Amino acid sequence: MIRIRGLVKRFGSLEAVKKLDLSVPPGEIFGFLGPNGAGKTTTVRMLCGLIKPTEGRIVVAGFDMAERAIEAKRAVGLVPDEPFVYPKLSGAEYLRFIGELYGVPLPEARRRIPELLEMFELGGWGGELVESYSHGMRQKLVIAGVLLHQPKVLLLDEPMVGLDPKSARMTKDIFLTLAARGTTIFMCTHILEIAEKLCDRIGIMIAGELRALGTLEDLRGLARPAPKAHDPPCGPAPRSDLEDVFLSLTGGREYSELLKNL
Amino acid sequence: MVGLLLRRRALSLGNCVRSLTGYEVARNLAFTAAGIGLLFGLYSGFHRLLAYLVTVELIGRLLVWKLTAMMMLTTFSMVSISGLLTSLTTLYFSCDLRFLMVAPLSIRAVFIDKSLESIFFASWMIGLVLLPFVTALAQVSGYGWGFYAAFVVTLAPFLALAASAGIAATLVILYLFPSSRTRDAVYVIATLSLTLVYGLVRFAEPERLIRPDALHVVADYLNFLQAPTAPYAPSWWLTEALRSYAAGKTAVFWWNCGLLYGCAAAVYALLVMLASRVYFIGYSGAQEGGLRRLEAPLGTLLETRAARWLGAGPDLAALFWRERKCFFRDVKHWSQILLILGLIFVYLYSVKRLPLDNQDIRSIISFLNVGVAGFVIAALGLRFTYPAISIEGLSWWVVRCAPVSLASVMRQKFLFSAIPMTMVALTLGIMTNRLLDADPFTSRLSLSSLLVMTWVIVAMGIGYGALFPMFNVENIHQIESSLGGFVYMASSLAYVGVSIMVLSWPMQMHFRERFGKAGAWDWRIAGLCAAAIIVINAAACILPWKMGLRKLENHEGPA
Repeated sequence: MIRIRGLVKRFGSLEAVKKLDLSVPPGEIFGFLGPNGAGKTTTVRMLCGLIKPTEGRIVVAGFDMAERAIEAKRAVGLVPDEPFVYPKLSGAEYLRFIGELYGVPLPEARRRIPELLEMFELGGWGGELVESYSHGMRQKLVIAGVLLHQPKVLLLDEPMVGLDPKSARMTKDIFLTLAARGTTIFMCTHILEIAEKLCDRIGIMIAGELRALGTLEDLRGLARPAPKAHDPPCGPAPRSDLEDVFLSLTGGREYSELLKNL
Repeated sequence: MVGLLLRRRALSLGNCVRSLTGYEVARNLAFTAAGIGLLFGLYSGFHRLLAYLVTVELIGRLLVWKLTAMMMLTTFSMVSISGLLTSLTTLYFSCDLRFLMVAPLSIRAVFIDKSLESIFFASWMIGLVLLPFVTALAQVSGYGWGFYAAFVVTLAPFLALAASAGIAATLVILYLFPSSRTRDAVYVIATLSLTLVYGLVRFAEPERLIRPDALHVVADYLNFLQAPTAPYAPSWWLTEALRSYAAGKTAVFWWNCGLLYGCAAAVYALLVMLASRVYFIGYSGAQEGGLRRLEAPLGTLLETRAARWLGAGPDLAALFWRERKCFFRDVKHWSQILLILGLIFVYLYSVKRLPLDNQDIRSIISFLNVGVAGFVIAALGLRFTYPAISIEGLSWWVVRCAPVSLASVMRQKFLFSAIPMTMVALTLGIMTNRLLDADPFTSRLSLSSLLVMTWVIVAMGIGYGALFPMFNVENIHQIESSLGGFVYMASSLAYVGVSIMVLSWPMQMHFRERFGKAGAWDWRIAGLCAAAIIVINAAACILPWKMGLRKLENHEGPA
């Protein structure tokens, strides 16, 4: 469903993404991890056609993003890390607009917009201008917008940030249901617990390069156990979790030393 | 703490300058040169006017200083209103206030930082426009470098005073009505007042003031010229300071200079005291949300029906619908619409009052009106059309990720702007032709030229807006006053000028024929002019459009 070949993105002299090769099949939830500035958001922005790659090829749902951008975009839904939406539209109007843009038939939009608003507990806010929404409410509205047009590929950049526990749980369940129905989900997150629970495969990107790729079990094999700050010096070796894997790959050993100086 | 806050601005500015690429330096230099050119144009205009006024026997000097006093009074009013509107945003709705308000800073420190920002942004451009006027005044009157120094010394407290007055009004209004809706109300009321004042000034027919015969008693006229213009206003102190310096009355100069500095310091100190009591109350209230709205039924959009009828795509209809909703809900646009209505009214009134008795001259004026109306359309384009792309702001990702082409987005923006602009152009064109009773040939030529000009200027606005997108701005005025806005305005005016030059050929032939010169109309020249107009319009339309589209496609804007 997503095929990336030799993807490179340069911003002046900075190479943000270096020769990325990756495939994500239909129905998979792929977790994209990495420290800040690793190139995750840049990759997502290229995948949804927000920015052009310097080199390489992206094929989404069978459509090349460079050659058949409109068809590819129709198959993609993006939840960005900052949910900026038109402040002078009401929540219901925003969903209506998304429905019109993505060609959702009017009878279906009429049925689904109130449903989606209710589902995300925005039912009483549908007529309110987005400018009066909180960050979490806007995040829920953007997710509702993505669900409205039922994309084949979901690109999520920190989708849980700002959501209350109930909404976060519901959103996770929605993603699992969608994946079971064949939707491909490509998710950037810093919340390792979410990646651990939701993702079929995980990729760890560091300084623009994909350093690790595989299932959680595959990654555990790669991990060099990193001591946690609260671990006793001579305690039993814990079973490495995703945090250990992440820290061992991204250089987390130093942080226990730094904590001593805190 | 204030020093620290100001240092961060200096650091940001320094980093901004240091990170400029060679291309950006060259581009900024080119635009600065163009800006200087524009100021030079203003200087030429002022110079001609002042040079004429000083030659008027007996009262020449009085006229010059009366004009200077009126100029300063206008500047003071404009900076005050600008201070009111600018401070509404900078003091209450800036993005960085969320950071500043939770930092361990006193409200006083935050206010000083933000009020200085307001003073600067409210006054720098208006202050700059005074420069060509004062230069022309100095040149015409033969004043030396000392006069410029006196102007620079007195200008700073003058602008600070004017902007402080506006800021004080904002503080009081937001204290009395602490709500985000107040900003909307203030925008509308301020603009309505400005429109009314503009209309009243026009209807008072100020042009009669430089015609002594317009007043019944010459003594009244002389009294008017000699009397101070708003003697208790800082604008008069500035005028008096300049006049006394020019006349070598140093004591009077220093007295007025002291008045300006003393008042500026006192007013700003009072402002800071006032702010320490009321600023936070207003800020807190301004964060409250807007009013609840009713949900509209999910019927077929008006735009969708129109698009079906016209054979356009549903994406165009959806974009248009969204633009319409957002546009009319933004109160800042209402205030601009009010101003435009006032402008049109005053424009047509001015045309009606033109003292023209000759039919041929009326027709010539009707043709030249294309240029003036073109200028008006370009100015409106700068406010409404040019920012149309950038105004998408941080929500740009919604459209950019959607299955719509950027060409489609630009076409929608064009359409949304072209409809009201066409209405304005038709009103100005048809009404002017009727008021001037122009002959049929001139009427047809001027109206059709104005319509084509309008569409091309709108296309240029969208093209240049796409070429210089600014999605990260807080205020629409930052888009208009950017370098891109300047390039758009300069290009539009150049286009209008060139078009008028080409169109003047067929007009010339037409008038020669009217004056009885048989065979003056040459179809070859007319054809050549028509071909030239087609080429000019196509180039003015297509070049910025294509360049803008390419720039937008490669833009790495906000997501």
